[in-house]
Amino acid sequence: MSPVSMTIVESAPLTLHELARAVGAEEGWIVQLVEVEILHVDAPADPPERWHFRSADLQRALAARRLERDFGANLDAAALILELQQEIRRLHGLLGAHGIRGSGLQT
Amino acid sequence: MDFKDYYSALGVDRNASDDDIRKAYRKLARKYHPDVSKEPDADRKMRDINEARDVLQDKEKRAAYDALADRVARGGSPEGGFHPPPGWDEGFEFHRGPHAGPSDHADFSEFFSSLFGDAMRRGGGRGAGAAPRGRGEDHHAAIEISLEDALHGAERQISLRAQVVDEQGHPRFETRTLDVRIPAGVRPGQFIRLTGQGLPGYGGEPAGDLYLEVRIAAHKLYRIEGSDLYMTLPVSPAEAALGAQVTVPVPGGGHVDVTVPPNARGGMKLRLKERGLPGKSPGHLYLLLEIALPPADSQAVRDAYAQLAKASEPWDPRKNLGA
Repeated sequence: MSPVSMTIVESAPLTLHELARAVGAEEGWIVQLVEVEILHVDAPADPPERWHFRSADLQRALAARRLERDFGANLDAAALILELQQEIRRLHGLLGAHGIRGSGLQT
Repeated sequence: MDFKDYYSALGVDRNASDDDIRKAYRKLARKYHPDVSKEPDADRKMRDINEARDVLQDKEKRAAYDALADRVARGGSPEGGFHPPPGWDEGFEFHRGPHAGPSDHADFSEFFSSLFGDAMRRGGGRGAGAAPRGRGEDHHAAIEISLEDALHGAERQISLRAQVVDEQGHPRFETRTLDVRIPAGVRPGQFIRLTGQGLPGYGGEPAGDLYLEVRIAAHKLYRIEGSDLYMTLPVSPAEAALGAQVTVPVPGGGHVDVTVPPNARGGMKLRLKERGLPGKSPGHLYLLLEIALPPADSQAVRDAYAQLAKASEPWDPRKNLGA
C-alpha cells in the first residue's frame, strides 16, 4: 500500500479554494459565511485569497451547508442557529464541570 | 441489492406533491439531524431520507424512479435481488441538485448509485459530448479513537466505502482500507486531511482529498472540554474537612499526589496545570471534588456520625431555608 500523505488541518490551514472544495461550495459562498460571521478570519480586510481556515471553520461551514440544504435556512438564520448551538454546548460544558449531565445537543 | 421504496422512507404516498415531500423531509430531518438527534441510528436514517429526498424532489429522477418502480412491480424482483434493467433511464436526464455537495451522493446506497451514480459523476446529462474531466470530490468521514490514542498517537486501519467505475463504465461500491496515523495531541473536532484519498477523479484528473473528523470516545474517568480534561475526585468528609494528600491517576498513565485543601467543599475544582491534552497550548486537568459519605452500616460509624453531629452543634445545614 503506498504511503498516504496526511496532515492535521491546524498544521496546514485551508485556503479559501480548499475550504470551498471541501464543503462542495463556490468560493463566493465561503465569502458570504465570513460576511455573516459564521466564519471568522484573522484579517477580514485582506483579499479572500489570503484567508486561512482551520478545523473549526470546516466544521461550521459543513454545518451551515447542512442547515441550508436540509431546512432551507438562509445564512443569517444559519448563523443564529450555529451561535445558539455553540452557546448550548458551552452551557453543557459548564454543567459538566459541575458534575451535572445536560441533555440535548451532543457536546 | 434490494429495491428501495423512497416514498415509504419519507412516509408519503406516491401522489405526494413537492410540498408534501418537503414537509415530510423537514419533519424527519429535525428528528434525525446529526447536530441534534439522540437517536442511535440517526446517521443512517438521515442518509436514507436525504437519498429519498434527492430522488423525489427532482422531477426527472422521480419520473424515472416511478417508471422503474412500475416496471419492477410488473416483473417482480429477479433472483439475487434488484438490478436496474438495461436502458431503464432512457429519455431522462439527471443533474446534481443545487445544494448537493461533495460526497453527498457517495454516502447514498448502492441502489441509488446503480441508478443515478453514473450520471451524477459526470455532473450532467447522460451521453453528452466529450468525455468529462474533473478532479474527484473531497470526501468526509469520521474516526473515533480512545483518549489514550489522542494522548500518545496511534495507527489505525479504517475501512471506507467508495464508489468506483467498472470496466463497463458502471459505478459500483468498493470497500477499501487505509492505514491512518493519528498524531499525538489530536483534539476532538479536528480534521485530518488525507491528500488524494477522496473520490476518484475522471478523465485522468486527480482524486479529491479525504477529511477525517476526529472523535474521541467517552472515557470512564475523564471528560474532554476542548483541550482540558475533567475528572470527578471523590474524597471522604474527613479529607475534605481536614485537608489531605490524595493520589490520583493522570491521563496517559501514572499517578500524582494532589493536595486537597482544608475545608474543601463539593464541586470545588483543583487544576493540574498542563495535564490535559498535549499540544502547543496544552490543556489542563481539572479535578472536581465530590464528597463521598461513608455508609452508616456499622455501630462504630453510626456512633462516629452521632459524635460529629454533637460536636458540630449548633451548625445547621438548612439554616438558609428559613424553616
